Amino acid sequence: MTQVKVDVHYVTRIEGHGNLILDANNGKIEKLLWEVPESPRFFEAMLVGRHYDDVHHIASRICGICSIAHTTASIQATEAAFGIQPSEQTILLRKLLFDAEMLESHVLHTLFLIAPDFLGVDSVIPLAATHKDVVVMALRMKKLAYNLAEALAQRKTHPLSCVVGGFTKVPDLNELKALKKRLQECLNDLDVETSIFKTLKIPDFVRETEYIALKDPKEYAWISGQIASSDAVAIPIDKYLGVTNEFCVPTSTAKYTKNKRDSYMVGALARFNLNSKQLSPRSRKVAAELGIKAPCFNPYMISVAQLVETYHIVEDAINLIDKLVERGVEEEPDRVKPRAGRGVGAVEAPRGILFHDYTYDANGIITKANCIIPTNQNHNNIQKDLEALVPKILDQPQAEIQKMMEMLVRAYDPCVSCSTHALRVTFK
Amino acid sequence: MKPKVAFFDFTGCEGCQLDVLNLTGEELLDLLGAIEIVNFREAISNRSDDYDIAFVEGSISREAEIPRLQKIRAQAKVLVALGACASIGGVNCLKNHLPMEQALKTVYGDAAKYYDTIPARPINAVVPVDFYVRGCPPQTVELVKVVKALLLGKKPDIPSYPVCTECKLAGNICIFELGKTCLGPVTRAGCNAICVSGGRKCWGCRGMVDEPNKNSEEEILKKHGLTPEQVMDKFNIYNTYVPEVKK
Amino acid sequence: MKNNSILIVDDEAIVRESLRDWLVVAGYDVSTAETAEEALKLIPKKDFSVMVLDIRLPGRTGLSILKEVKAQRPWIKSIIITAYPSDETMKEATKLGAIDYMVKPLAPDDLEHLVRETIESVGKEPTVITPPKAARKPAAKAGELKKSVVVSKQDFKNLVNNLTKTMDVYGVKPKHGKYVYDRINKADELALNYDITVSPPTVYLLPARETILKFKLGDGAKPEPVTDNTSRAIVGVHPYDIRAIEMLDEAFMTANPDPDYIARRQNTIIVGVENLNPSPKSFAPSMGTHLAENGYDLMLTDLGSKYMVAIGSKKGSDLLKRYTTTNEPTTDDIARQKEVLDEALTKYQLHLDVPRERLPKLLEDSYDDVYWQSRSETCLSCGSCVMVCPTCFCFDVQDDVALNLKEGQRIRQRDGCMLVDFAKVATGENFRQDKASRFRHRIYRKGKYVIERYGRMGCVGCGRCAVACLAEIASPLEAFNAIAASWRAKQTAQRVLREIYPESELYAPRLAQLVRVEQLAAKEKVFEVKLTDGKELGHMPGQFISVSIMGIGESPFGVASSPTRPGSFEFAVRNVGSVTNAIHNLKKGDVLGIRGPFGNGFNVKALEGKDILFIAGGIGLFPVRSLIQYVMDKRKQFGRAIVLFGARTPAERLFIDELAAWKTNPDIEFYETVDRGTPDWTGNVGVITTLIPKVQLDPRKTVAVVVGPPIMYRFVIVELKKKDLADENIIMSLERRMKCGVGKCGHCQINGIYVCQEGPVFSLAQLRNLREAV
Repeated sequence: MTQVKVDVHYVTRIEGHGNLILDANNGKIEKLLWEVPESPRFFEAMLVGRHYDDVHHIASRICGICSIAHTTASIQATEAAFGIQPSEQTILLRKLLFDAEMLESHVLHTLFLIAPDFLGVDSVIPLAATHKDVVVMALRMKKLAYNLAEALAQRKTHPLSCVVGGFTKVPDLNELKALKKRLQECLNDLDVETSIFKTLKIPDFVRETEYIALKDPKEYAWISGQIASSDAVAIPIDKYLGVTNEFCVPTSTAKYTKNKRDSYMVGALARFNLNSKQLSPRSRKVAAELGIKAPCFNPYMISVAQLVETYHIVEDAINLIDKLVERGVEEEPDRVKPRAGRGVGAVEAPRGILFHDYTYDANGIITKANCIIPTNQNHNNIQKDLEALVPKILDQPQAEIQKMMEMLVRAYDPCVSCSTHALRVTFK
Repeated sequence: MKPKVAFFDFTGCEGCQLDVLNLTGEELLDLLGAIEIVNFREAISNRSDDYDIAFVEGSISREAEIPRLQKIRAQAKVLVALGACASIGGVNCLKNHLPMEQALKTVYGDAAKYYDTIPARPINAVVPVDFYVRGCPPQTVELVKVVKALLLGKKPDIPSYPVCTECKLAGNICIFELGKTCLGPVTRAGCNAICVSGGRKCWGCRGMVDEPNKNSEEEILKKHGLTPEQVMDKFNIYNTYVPEVKK
Repeated sequence: MKNNSILIVDDEAIVRESLRDWLVVAGYDVSTAETAEEALKLIPKKDFSVMVLDIRLPGRTGLSILKEVKAQRPWIKSIIITAYPSDETMKEATKLGAIDYMVKPLAPDDLEHLVRETIESVGKEPTVITPPKAARKPAAKAGELKKSVVVSKQDFKNLVNNLTKTMDVYGVKPKHGKYVYDRINKADELALNYDITVSPPTVYLLPARETILKFKLGDGAKPEPVTDNTSRAIVGVHPYDIRAIEMLDEAFMTANPDPDYIARRQNTIIVGVENLNPSPKSFAPSMGTHLAENGYDLMLTDLGSKYMVAIGSKKGSDLLKRYTTTNEPTTDDIARQKEVLDEALTKYQLHLDVPRERLPKLLEDSYDDVYWQSRSETCLSCGSCVMVCPTCFCFDVQDDVALNLKEGQRIRQRDGCMLVDFAKVATGENFRQDKASRFRHRIYRKGKYVIERYGRMGCVGCGRCAVACLAEIASPLEAFNAIAASWRAKQTAQRVLREIYPESELYAPRLAQLVRVEQLAAKEKVFEVKLTDGKELGHMPGQFISVSIMGIGESPFGVASSPTRPGSFEFAVRNVGSVTNAIHNLKKGDVLGIRGPFGNGFNVKALEGKDILFIAGGIGLFPVRSLIQYVMDKRKQFGRAIVLFGARTPAERLFIDELAAWKTNPDIEFYETVDRGTPDWTGNVGVITTLIPKVQLDPRKTVAVVVGPPIMYRFVIVELKKKDLADENIIMSLERRMKCGVGKCGHCQINGIYVCQEGPVFSLAQLRNLREAV
């Protein structure tokens, strides 16, 4: 008569609030829920009536960790609506800024949020005493990411200088050169992280699902490309609604999505599965060392995929800096002219594909907005993963079951408060 | 005895807490030498209800959040509002202009309870607050300044004057002169005018100074081409919430 | 009226021009004349306060015109100069009213000293409080004081480029259409022909923040002073900023020498540039700061293809020796320099309306002026004005401790008296709680306190604050001029030029014949008369006449018709006493006596282009009618004409045919009311103030002209203030007992003024300071 009860209110070491609930009796699961009680934030409704110059500023506040992703997706949606093609310089700067956030996010997730589970501690803070060098290294990489973002956009959280049409301030090339040196040293730090990850015992759990990410023929896609799926042909991003198919569930203030199967996954593992051939040679080598090969169906390996991506990101940043230093940077005037229209912007946020869809009037005021967040798209998959996982581990001690469930949620690097950004409400 | 510090978050983007970790290794070690972090959901698993100083991020936008906040206030000797959402309500308050509650009932019926939402407000609308770390996001230096002040037992030196002062000292050209508009003249300084220095404008995310000359600012904005509605829209992004006048 | 206007009369060009140059540099407005005849032509055209007069002139002598000048302009003070002194001429000159007698060749600074004293001693005007410090340094003669050389522009660039190799060099660069001081790496980045920078170069001597002490916590070690000894050069500093730095030097380097300021100052090379392109908001010449005699290492004047470089120090001289080839200036170069400097002087658009030496006393006497309150209403206390000001230097000091709590720094950062909490103490009390007191304090710093304390100008007239202030209230020039105007408005008695009548007509009336009489209402009649000598009255709307019925007496009446309708004029009379009764008994063809016109009348020039709100109550309509007719006859010169008329009852309405005509006239917006209606009255009922809220006005464009019974004024003013009309734009005509009409009999006095001279038309601004008028 074993009763298993797991009731985790506000899972820790994730962004946002989520609850794990399990009620099982004698091997029979009565209730198994990944519940998202995050406060609905109504961003899509708040954006209506806003001028385009303020839209990305407000949209950025959907998330503090991936604010650059939201800002970029927002700007790209507006540019698509106005028919604006950003300059080559702008695209280089945006990609570099994106790399900064991706680096920070992945380091945060792998070292601060995930690693403690594997090292048997509650957080990175006790590691400050036992593994001081690791903590210093983690903070160093994080600081590098921050400084890189600062050099481009004055700050990382809610970036400033990137606007519709370009950048209001261009970076100091001497600063970028100094950052390049630190990026090169960062690769050594990543090697240390890889050596730590090699020692971690990643749970062996496999559940194949549909994987969705951006795909760009020219490079590992971050801010360009089409929507690719493991189960379907790639489609242009403005057809995203046909992929996401959002629907509401009572246990979640965030909506769920599904495409070809009951649920799908976005994020580092999805990207890796779809685009691993486009990763840098060094990243692919690390992938082999860490034992991850596309396609990988183990969600606990998401962080490994993130670590692999991090190498690519750092190298990409170095290349971008070289390009910028070579061609020079110059202030570009504001040439934005609003017009009525609709546009979609899609980027790969650290956690997966992110869509912003705006409709504007002729004065550059938003009349309609829709945002689909990566974690939104993962909630359904998390639920399905739990439903597949828990029966397999029900015979283990309750504490172990709880830990495995929490680790599963954490593996996804969910950004819960983002995902409850909006509620589609129609006013009669 | 190191003071015990806890971090909590309500409705917000969690960017403020994230920036707490924007310290170098040395700085973090120094910080941990000075305080004991006992609760930081975003980064730590164990939690404790025994803390002296509580940093609270996010605004209150659900009924359920109110008793949670009151419990924190009851426990903490010092309560610090962290970020614009907690200090002044922040962008969350933009939803206060939307006819929410009714619409929820109409659309969700019973399930509306999961979508419990009340007009968003800063935490000082619910409990007394001791200190503020303002901004969206606040700058790490300001957070550290407040922590240091708490440790030294002094009042943090946060400016009471508008952003214009820091903007001029940063050598910026006033963007009104460049054909743009800005809320700097009524917004509290302390950010070193980072937004104008970055080529943008001040949105007022640090909240207004204690005695803003709002009329004068409105006149200036209108003189520079904004309609009264556009003026309201500008203020509303961060400063929608107007505290009730205490009798 | 500029009281610092001087006329120099001398036939020798060198004397004329050198004295003129000297006095211009000292800040006076100087005109010159070669002959006595020329002087006599100039005098009526401009209001000079001092005349410097040579005795020996071609044509008429100086002394011979002295009497004439004294007659025309008795207040001009004359200083006689001569190369041929004698006792006789000295006695003669004194008899004729000259105030002093100087022998040529004279030292220009002696003359300037005398001129200054002379101007100060005119009438009851405020005098300068001489600061206790030593006498001012003498003003330099243009171009002579410092050794100057000529340097090619390319050589100068080499100098700058070389400087960048050994020190931090800051200079003026263009940015977004404006100019800023910034670090420069090569001379080509400079824009030396700029008008004004957003922030002043003083930021390099008093930065936004600097560490002044380092300390360790807990171990009782003494805090260590910290100074910044980096070398720097600032290139492109305009003279007003150099003068500002001189003031800062005085404040920081003399008493209680400031080690941080000194370290920066001593390691700073200043390369100045004459300002040939003044900003539209600059008023440096009015503050005497458009030129700098000292305070620089090198001072450049751009001659076009090369620079004239004045050497101000050994450092400067060494730099030139090392990096440039220098040449002696030719006479052409010197002439060219004078030419460009003179031309620059003509470009300034803003000027002080009062000599700057008067500012300290003027301000002292204006502490309670309403200006401080009204002007600072829109102040945001944002700090922009004090942060862009080169003479502002207030600061705060705060401690910052490292996160390890083991060590820290004491930091000085810029602060400003315009910020709300500047004068707040720990208990919460704020000694300058309100905007008005902070606003006033800053203006007093600029115009009074700094010069009294340090002997240096507190405001150098750069105009940065005028540009930076979003509420557009920051310019000290505007404040000084407003205070001076306010002071002058209070001193109306001394400002009115005395009308000069041929003596024979002062009390003897001229004869006029009654052409037409008409009954207006029960007790009122209008009389149309024409002067029997055929001349026009020559009046302006708002003036009054005295009408005599010989044997009965004489009474004053406002002229009720406009001078634009010549041939005759009208006045209206209410029958209340002996004279008015006698006038009422006149018939067409009768003769009566007329004196006048008296008084100041409405300032029709100032009304041009404005919307005029006429408010007439009862017989207040009489003088207002004259102005309404004037405006109608010159319709295009004025904006809207809105007429409000109120009578007690319908039967007491006046000029009813004209009222009807105004009502239907598309060029007039006419509204009427009666205090009490009658059954057949279909119009408005209510006091005249009830009409005012209905009128839509633009307070910035509207002037209200108000005449009526005394009780009406108070209530009308309340309504007009609700419409945001400024005091200066509310005009009233006052009534007092009048007799002589020429400011002698004394009956019409209100405080220090005579209503028949300085009135009867006053603005509310003027009346605010006439306590008896309320």
